[in-house]
Amino acid sequence: MLKKFKPYVMLAPVMFIILGIFTMGLALGFFQSLGYFPAVGLKEFTLRYYKEVLTDIGFLDSLKFTLYTSFVSSTLALIIGVLLAYSIFQSKSRKGVLYTIYKLPVIVPHSIAALLVFNVLTQSGILARVLFYLGIISEQTQFPSLIFDQNGIGIIISYLWKGIPFIAMTVYTVLSNINDKLTDAALNLGANRRQVFWKILLPLLMPSILSSYIIIFAFSFGAFEIPYLLGPTSPKLLPVKAYIEYINPDLSHRPYSMVINMVLASYSLILVWFYSKTFKLFSKFDEIS
Amino acid sequence: MYKIELKNISKVFENKRVLKGINLIVNEGEMLSLLGPSGCGKTTTLKIIAGLFSPDCGDILFNGKSIVNIPVEKRGAVIVFQDYLLFPHMTVEENIAFGLKMAKIKKPKRRVKVREMIDLVKLDGCEKKYPSELSGGQKQRVAIARALAIEPKVLLLDEPFSNLDTRLRESMRIFVCDIQKKLGITTILVTHDKEEALLTSHRVAVILDGEIKQIGTPAEVYEKPSSPLVADFFGEKNYLEGEIIKGFFVCKMGKFKTGFDKYPRVMAMIRPEEIELTDSEEGSGFWGRILSKQYAGDKIYYKLSANDIQLKCMANSKNMFEANQRVWLKIDFEKTIFFKAEKS
Ligand SMILES: Nc1ncnc2c1ncn2[C@@H]1O[C@H](COP(=O)(O)OP(=O)(O)OP(=O)(O)O)[C@@H](O)[C@H]1O
Ligand SMILES: [Mg+2]
Repeated sequence: MLKKFKPYVMLAPVMFIILGIFTMGLALGFFQSLGYFPAVGLKEFTLRYYKEVLTDIGFLDSLKFTLYTSFVSSTLALIIGVLLAYSIFQSKSRKGVLYTIYKLPVIVPHSIAALLVFNVLTQSGILARVLFYLGIISEQTQFPSLIFDQNGIGIIISYLWKGIPFIAMTVYTVLSNINDKLTDAALNLGANRRQVFWKILLPLLMPSILSSYIIIFAFSFGAFEIPYLLGPTSPKLLPVKAYIEYINPDLSHRPYSMVINMVLASYSLILVWFYSKTFKLFSKFDEIS
Repeated sequence: MYKIELKNISKVFENKRVLKGINLIVNEGEMLSLLGPSGCGKTTTLKIIAGLFSPDCGDILFNGKSIVNIPVEKRGAVIVFQDYLLFPHMTVEENIAFGLKMAKIKKPKRRVKVREMIDLVKLDGCEKKYPSELSGGQKQRVAIARALAIEPKVLLLDEPFSNLDTRLRESMRIFVCDIQKKLGITTILVTHDKEEALLTSHRVAVILDGEIKQIGTPAEVYEKPSSPLVADFFGEKNYLEGEIIKGFFVCKMGKFKTGFDKYPRVMAMIRPEEIELTDSEEGSGFWGRILSKQYAGDKIYYKLSANDIQLKCMANSKNMFEANQRVWLKIDFEKTIFFKAEKS
């Protein structure tokens, strides 16, 4: 009995700090979103701010835009990442080189990624200049505006730049841990290469694919720097909107910011729940051998 | 069912010649064991037959037709792997149905076949279980059922019993032999267990160091090994160097009648169990001294010395002899196998 509690007791100081700060922050935000902010004289609990924010066209547009960018970027990253991992896995030679190259973007911070994408894709960027130089476009303004655009192309591209290598790395690691002999066994039973991929490798990769998908989805949903640097003025992505409300000198705007944060937080919670579900779902065949 | 022919198959891995010209014929419906020590190239041979490796040179024929250029998925030679390799994300049923599904067999037909296989390998009640929920013996039976479901023309068993405990191994052995007989599939059983090879198969091929050293019925390879190497693989032996002169084997120990007069320089192979120990002179033999004794229940292993030559002897525990005791080694040289002596 005592033994069972020992680790918890020993972890208590650290847990107190981590969970304490986290929950206090969350609780404070939650109270403020309900309009309880005594520092500026707001002392009444009310759902007014929720009602206002959740029915505001601007907010709904932002929500849609946020969902759209994170869904499109994560899904594309997933598909491309898995295919990339599989083709690196299949390529017999130069595995080491490829492995290092595609790992690189994972360590580069998002803000740098945004900067790179910015430098390449703006109308005065490298790509536009190259195309102009090659005579493919006659004026740099003919280059489509991919940054600050309504379709979020710039944002999506920077997320892809970070997300594809992340997925590829995760999937590749798991892929190289799947017993090669399972492929042999499947081939031996009459499966062709395509069937091996769809029926053996993909299902075995599913847990890691899903969990890394959820991670990049949650990240792109809540991340701030890329949409702040590359997003259009309107609609703004939710984290940017929350930030703008937050830095409003009029402190009575604080509850609006907190409502948006609560939306982001509850969304993340749902994803965390999904994440743990995926693991349960696959626990039956967790031994990859 | 196919007749399998391997013609001069060679395989090199990273500068190491693993197979050095394998020639082998397995007749239609035959069960042949490929017997050899660990690392001698048994699994490699099976993978080459199945098409998972291609040979560096040589040819493989099924019923007289070369199949080296047919890809693995179309060969119809199925391996039951040493470590089963069940698909961990599929239930027993799905594992068994896998090959049929890949061949695009329709669902109702698939279901009938899976049912039939489950009955054959006696796995009722396990249909919905995942491999991680099965015992070793059950996993093995799933692996066999999965292989048999696609009605292979050639069945390749790669040490299928080595992961099982003694009792389970025995019953699985009988079980597999029965199925093989019933279905008449041409089967190669790979093993490093000599008893398993002798017990199960019509013929045994002894493979040592990438070469097939001898092929024959179990009795042939055991009783008339073609070389000391093959003989030693079936257990430790004693060798006496000498000459055959006019029907007599002449060696350090004396002169013994053989009824055999080829080869002037020979090595007489004497199995430990062929030496009978007595305390008085009896029949043909010679005197020796017990060096040590090891008790193993129903048997006793002795080390003896005679004329400065060490000999091993295995006796039943009826008469016990003690270390240092002088004993008579009774040997029937008329039944002894003589090999041509190697130049040393
Ligand atoms: N894919 C491979 N690449 C390189 N070397 C290999 C490969 N497969 C086998 N070998 C080598 O070939 C030799 C024979 O291997 P093989 O698996 O055929 O032995 P085996 O007779 O089946 O042994 P065991 O009884 O231990 O299973 C070994 O030395 C092994 O290291
Ligand atoms: Mg092997």
